[in-house]
Amino acid sequence: MVDATNPAKTRRPGGFRAAAVSRSFDGVHALDCVTLGLYSHEVVGLIGPNGAGKSTLVNVMTGFDFPTSGAVEFEGQDITRWSPHRRGRAGLARTFQHSHSFRDLSVRENVEVAALGVGQKPREARARASELLGILGLADQADALAGGLAHGDERRLGVARALVTEPKFVLMDEPAAGLPEAEVPEFAAVIRAVRDEHNAGVLLIDHNMTLIMEVCDRIHVLDQGATLAEGTPAEIRANLDVAAAYLGESAIRTDAGVDELR
Amino acid sequence: MRWTRSLSELAPPALLVVVVGVVGSGTSPARQIDFQTALVSVAIVVALYVFVGNSGVLSFGQISFAAVGGYAAGVMTVPVELKVGTLPALAPLLRDHTIGNLPSLLLAAAFGAVYAALVALPLMRLSGLAAGIATFAVLEITHNILHEWTKIGPGAGVLSLVPETTGMLQATLGALVVMAIAYGYQRTRFGRQLRATREDPAAAQAVGISVHRQRLIAFTLSGGLSGFAGALYVHQIGSLTADQLYLELTFLSLAMLVVGGATSLWGAVVGALAVSGLDSFLGQAESGVNIGFTLNLPTGTRLVAVGAVMALVLVLRPTGITGGREFSLTWLRQLRRKERTA
Repeated sequence: MVDATNPAKTRRPGGFRAAAVSRSFDGVHALDCVTLGLYSHEVVGLIGPNGAGKSTLVNVMTGFDFPTSGAVEFEGQDITRWSPHRRGRAGLARTFQHSHSFRDLSVRENVEVAALGVGQKPREARARASELLGILGLADQADALAGGLAHGDERRLGVARALVTEPKFVLMDEPAAGLPEAEVPEFAAVIRAVRDEHNAGVLLIDHNMTLIMEVCDRIHVLDQGATLAEGTPAEIRANLDVAAAYLGESAIRTDAGVDELR
Repeated sequence: MRWTRSLSELAPPALLVVVVGVVGSGTSPARQIDFQTALVSVAIVVALYVFVGNSGVLSFGQISFAAVGGYAAGVMTVPVELKVGTLPALAPLLRDHTIGNLPSLLLAAAFGAVYAALVALPLMRLSGLAAGIATFAVLEITHNILHEWTKIGPGAGVLSLVPETTGMLQATLGALVVMAIAYGYQRTRFGRQLRATREDPAAAQAVGISVHRQRLIAFTLSGGLSGFAGALYVHQIGSLTADQLYLELTFLSLAMLVVGGATSLWGAVVGALAVSGLDSFLGQAESGVNIGFTLNLPTGTRLVAVGAVMALVLVLRPTGITGGREFSLTWLRQLRRKERTA
């Protein structure tokens, strides 16, 4: 499948890149010279077995962790040493693997305060929050405390909070984990909307192969901290190395994953 | 809609404070002191709440800003002709000037805020246990400076002959001013961002919130309000020693905040009034009080009981009497429903 818009092949300027990033914890290589570029208006899947370094890579790219070597670049600037909040203000948003909602604040306040965080005026923050809560189907629960949300709603709240910052790039760390299978197509539509309507670049980490194959324009496979493969979903599906990496994984996910890949 | 919300949240604690002021005014002069103390406590605890409640970071240092404010207000309001006798070592600038009531309150707030800002610059980079212990160090340092440095105050002696301008009216107004500023702050974008960092610092940073900057702002505002409250305190009693604004008040004010519910203004006010009431009653009981029979408690019961109440609340209702929520009618309804089902 030849794709002229595939940024991995055309190397557009700008974008958001991890360039030859390594990160070791006490001699253990969590990441080993990984290069991953992300451009606006695309969804890139980041997959790999547990412990492959996916979350570490997201943490390094969003400033919650620093690389041992290598750099993080954003629109041509070296932002390796930028604090997380500075990156957030610059247009790099993320969601978290585990619930990180502001539990004791209302759902609406969760989204509004994120808009305030990137410097929007209270009035526009309020309008944007209402709009996004509507789009993400959270309007009915706007005044409920975030701590009491059901799992699926909480995931969507995370996305609303990221989107209200009007990000150029969104890094989603297992946003569909724990979602009932029936809600996955709906969530896929949300991710596509981030790309198509908000024109953001999305890095999507997930174990749900159906979701990954369905929404990603490109896929990047990590295994033991190193890049194992990169390519379009079709290319990755054909790549048996990936299947091999997944064989080492826990039974349920491995089976599902490998079946998908074959 | 937003105005009605502000009104419905700020009016109940304000009303409560006004009621305490009015009821207190009708009592004997001796009893009035207890009411004034309670109102000044409201100011002190609400000032503490501005930082601790909104940030979720414990501070043992806020009373040192009250001490700085109290000393500044006290030293600057003793009439010049009396200073020569009572404060002989005072620096000439302080010795030769006296200011009025309102300027002294404002000066105290300014001193508290500036001192807090200086302290916060390095300290607010710390987190967790380190931050708590470091604020304790601030209390210790401030106390020793005030206790020893006779160029700026009485040192180990008593600062006396301070005009007693904090009567019932001024105590009530003072508490209301601190509450209004605290409430206004928590509804600004700054207060809201700080509350987000309290709930989840990582997620807050991910949406562009600088935890350090927001804590710095709150700590400074809290320091300013503490300084103001310290000025109310010294003008209520008319005298001051370094020990009065030190460990016991640090403990008492934290107990008040925790008992009431640290994460709401309503909690801070209710806690301050409830524990003040208990504290005054037990203080009297230590020297014998007649409540149908004569209650005579051993000396020291007061703080033992307050400590026990604080521990009990922490065990049974960690979010405090108010649950750490602002006053609302739904809250009352829920409470009533709970009582009915219980």
